Amino acid sequence: MNTGQIISGAGHLALIGWALFGGAFRSDPPPFEVVEAMAISAEDYAAILAASTAPEAVASIDTPAPPAPGENAPALASGADTAPAQSQPAANAAPPPDPVPSPPEPVSAPAEVADTAPEVAPPAEDMAAVVPQVSPRPQPRPAPRVAPEPVAPSEPDVRVDDVARPEVAPDAGAVVEETPQEATAPEEAATEIVTEAERPRDPAPTASPRPRARPAAARPAPAPTPAPPTETATAPRPETPRDTPPATDRSAVSDALAAALGQGTPTPERPAGPPLTAGEKDALRVAVQRCWNVGSLSSEALATTVVVTVRMFETSKPDISSIRMLSHSGGSATAAQQAYEAARRAIIRCGNDGFSLPPEKFGQWRDIEMTFNPERMRIK
Amino acid sequence: MTYLSKTMILVAGLALAACTNPDRFEDQAGSGAGGFGAGAGAGSVSDPTSPAYFQQAIGDRVLFAVDQSTLSPAAQATLDGQAGWLMTNRDFTAVIEGHADEQGTREYNLALGARRANAVQEYLVSRGVAGNRLRAVSYGKERPIEICSNESCYAKNRRAVTVLAAGPGS
Amino acid sequence: MMRSLLTLLAALMIWAVPAMAQQGGPLRLEITEGVIEPMPVAVPDFVADTPAAQELARNIARVIAADLTGTGLFREIPAAAHISRITSFESPVQFSDWRAINAQALVTGAVNVDGAGRVVVRFRIHDVFAGQELGQGQQLVGDRDGWRRIAHKVADQVYARITGEGGYFDSRVVFVSESGPKDQRAKRLAIMDYDGANVQFLTDASSIVIAPRFSPTGDRVLYTSYETGFPRIYLLDVTSMGRRALPTLEGTMAFAPRFSPDGRTVLYSLSQGGNTDLYSMDILSGASTRLTTAPSIETAPSYSPDGRQIVFESDRSGTPQLYVMDAGGGEARRISFGAGRYGTPVWSPRGDLVAFTKQSKGRFHIGVMRVDGSEERLLTASFLDEGPTWAPNGRVIMFTRETQGAQGEARLYSVDITGRNLRQVPTPGGASDPSWGPLQN
Repeated sequence: MNTGQIISGAGHLALIGWALFGGAFRSDPPPFEVVEAMAISAEDYAAILAASTAPEAVASIDTPAPPAPGENAPALASGADTAPAQSQPAANAAPPPDPVPSPPEPVSAPAEVADTAPEVAPPAEDMAAVVPQVSPRPQPRPAPRVAPEPVAPSEPDVRVDDVARPEVAPDAGAVVEETPQEATAPEEAATEIVTEAERPRDPAPTASPRPRARPAAARPAPAPTPAPPTETATAPRPETPRDTPPATDRSAVSDALAAALGQGTPTPERPAGPPLTAGEKDALRVAVQRCWNVGSLSSEALATTVVVTVRMFETSKPDISSIRMLSHSGGSATAAQQAYEAARRAIIRCGNDGFSLPPEKFGQWRDIEMTFNPERMRIK
Repeated sequence: MTYLSKTMILVAGLALAACTNPDRFEDQAGSGAGGFGAGAGAGSVSDPTSPAYFQQAIGDRVLFAVDQSTLSPAAQATLDGQAGWLMTNRDFTAVIEGHADEQGTREYNLALGARRANAVQEYLVSRGVAGNRLRAVSYGKERPIEICSNESCYAKNRRAVTVLAAGPGS
Repeated sequence: MMRSLLTLLAALMIWAVPAMAQQGGPLRLEITEGVIEPMPVAVPDFVADTPAAQELARNIARVIAADLTGTGLFREIPAAAHISRITSFESPVQFSDWRAINAQALVTGAVNVDGAGRVVVRFRIHDVFAGQELGQGQQLVGDRDGWRRIAHKVADQVYARITGEGGYFDSRVVFVSESGPKDQRAKRLAIMDYDGANVQFLTDASSIVIAPRFSPTGDRVLYTSYETGFPRIYLLDVTSMGRRALPTLEGTMAFAPRFSPDGRTVLYSLSQGGNTDLYSMDILSGASTRLTTAPSIETAPSYSPDGRQIVFESDRSGTPQLYVMDAGGGEARRISFGAGRYGTPVWSPRGDLVAFTKQSKGRFHIGVMRVDGSEERLLTASFLDEGPTWAPNGRVIMFTRETQGAQGEARLYSVDITGRNLRQVPTPGGASDPSWGPLQN
């Protein structure tokens, strides 16, 4: 036979052989990776984008202690949650305003995509956000007592009293006589009432961080302002529901100023140079404040301002029998009576050991008129 | 074999057959119906005129989305089947129970369940079932069938169940 | 010359001014910040006038102390810390002893059981630091079985005198006692003292009962029951235990009943054809009036204390929100505007606030807002809080809290209106749907 036939025959044979046996040699195609693609809303997409560009955003925000971007993300993502109720499924189970009806399973996939924090994917109605670059702000810790200055919890065996006294034990060989004193410490206090609704539950912020004011002396701005501005849950004052955080910051700043200047509100000014220095007046005011307990006053009494007069002894202790209510405003006579009694108790209790007033200026402080205005204590 | 033995075997077989418990599907039907309305005697699934068939083959319940009382296409398909069965088997009346999941306040969920039951009732009526054979009731969130607290259970609790009752219908 | 004269004058004036100030009035000071803390109070065991009254004297003092500390406004200084003891009701109090332990208030008393088994309790309240009595001593008389009520009445007096708030301790709460797994909850109507004592069951567990409401005079209860297979409203007399079903339309469901402040009208929801609206019914005649006609769900209503307005829950805007309208019906004004769903509004007995349940971001909250919707404040947060009810003095709220999951259980909690003092109310088992009755007389 000629070459052509041989080649043709061989080719045909080869083709037939390949058709018959070629399958044995073919390897499986590489496994198909199926990534669940879920249609996500524009907000979610923007959030994912924002998350990936977050580090730059943080640098430009003037926060007191900007943490390294992403540094906190793992911690928060692992859910250092206080309550198990905050686990993913529960959060997703909440009726989301998400326009896309998403079955439960694929929701976890976007969580892998946004590696900074899992919270990005679920209903993102308030999300432009910057995801956990802001470390949890110091929250007023819930404490049984509310006072102008926060007080850390004292040693367990220390008796609670209004003044802090160190323990003084008579030294065995000491010549000097010291009156033994029990260690006392003021009771633990927070600066404001922390309701359960305000306690930080979710470390992942749900609102974009606004520029924060420097924590004012006695009033740290309540941190993740979790609720949308319409909620007043964390406003230190009864403000209208639409008040925005910048307004809160402004008032916090002015509070800091006011505290620094030592005046609650400007008192009717005397000409410059009153004999008692502002510092001395302030010390007296603070001393009385410490004992002015409005915790057990009715709501009506908390709306009543009373003016109380008292005459002092030279030892800077009050003459209890001289305490009178001069006038009252804002409430009924009963409420005024209640408020007056709370004020009187304040003067008596903290005056028990004497206020530290300068004896050489006795003439100046022999008669004192105090106005007790509980307006700022009403809902703290 | 003798004629007698054959007959005896035959008779014995027939006698044993009579020992089947006609009620053996009863419990199933009872729990399926939720035990509230007067559950009809269930019968066997293979019997297309039995409530058991209604519950299992046709489907006695439809599910709803969160906060909604609208009928999905799947729900409508199930209800079409229910309507068909009810039109064929005119001896039954039905109580439609509406339920809600626990993510809501008690009285609102009662009203929501009522909406759901009514949606089903209206649909069945629109498919030809006589209105006086149907009655709607709502249990709000009082009787969940799944008690875990996440969406997989909630989805099953947001339901309207058609419970059959034997009775004069028209 | 002129200039130096002027400077001299100016200098003189500057000197003169302080001189003038010296002769001015008293030193004036404004105090605007204080502390909020429970007031330390001492309630030593009451003095027993007769040996038979010994145990009673101690128990009454314990109940008074528990009432006061339970408010969160008082903190009891335990007996172990007391320096002196009250051995006679008449002898003057050594205030220095009580000042030394920092008690700010002191309650002393004496208990006597007379031959007829009647209990006589006398008590005094003292302001320790002022060293004098607050108000006048008082005396209460009651029978032995009701000794807890006497103790509550004393505590009410102490509370009212020191805080200025009305008391709320001598009151009862009607609620639903729960048992069993979540998918087969057995529910029974029950009534108890506000502090959990003296629980009595009003129904058996044979059918579902929900959301009872106390009448303003504390003698009757309205509730919803499934005993006929459909939700219907029942009226129960607490003393006689007699009850009847309120008339209803065939083919409808009636639920969410409330008493009007004068006790003569029932405000409720009726569901017909899938639509739920508000109706009111005259209790005696059974005549009912329809109050809303919207195609949306209107339910969970509550009267204002003067009976002229109603706050209720409606989803006419798409999600459940709170609305206020006149008691006779008419236009409704929305008052809830936060992000979330609002429900179960309850008007405070003081008329100033509305308590509600709010759902947002997967959590439930109990909150309060002013009647116009402003100053919304959330008091609690959890997996499922709902159904607030007000104490008679409008200062404390009790509500249901259910935990999640298959083992979830409902319990009653109370919280002060400031959000402080969240605590559980002791109940024999699970409990839900509390309704706080009035102060008893």
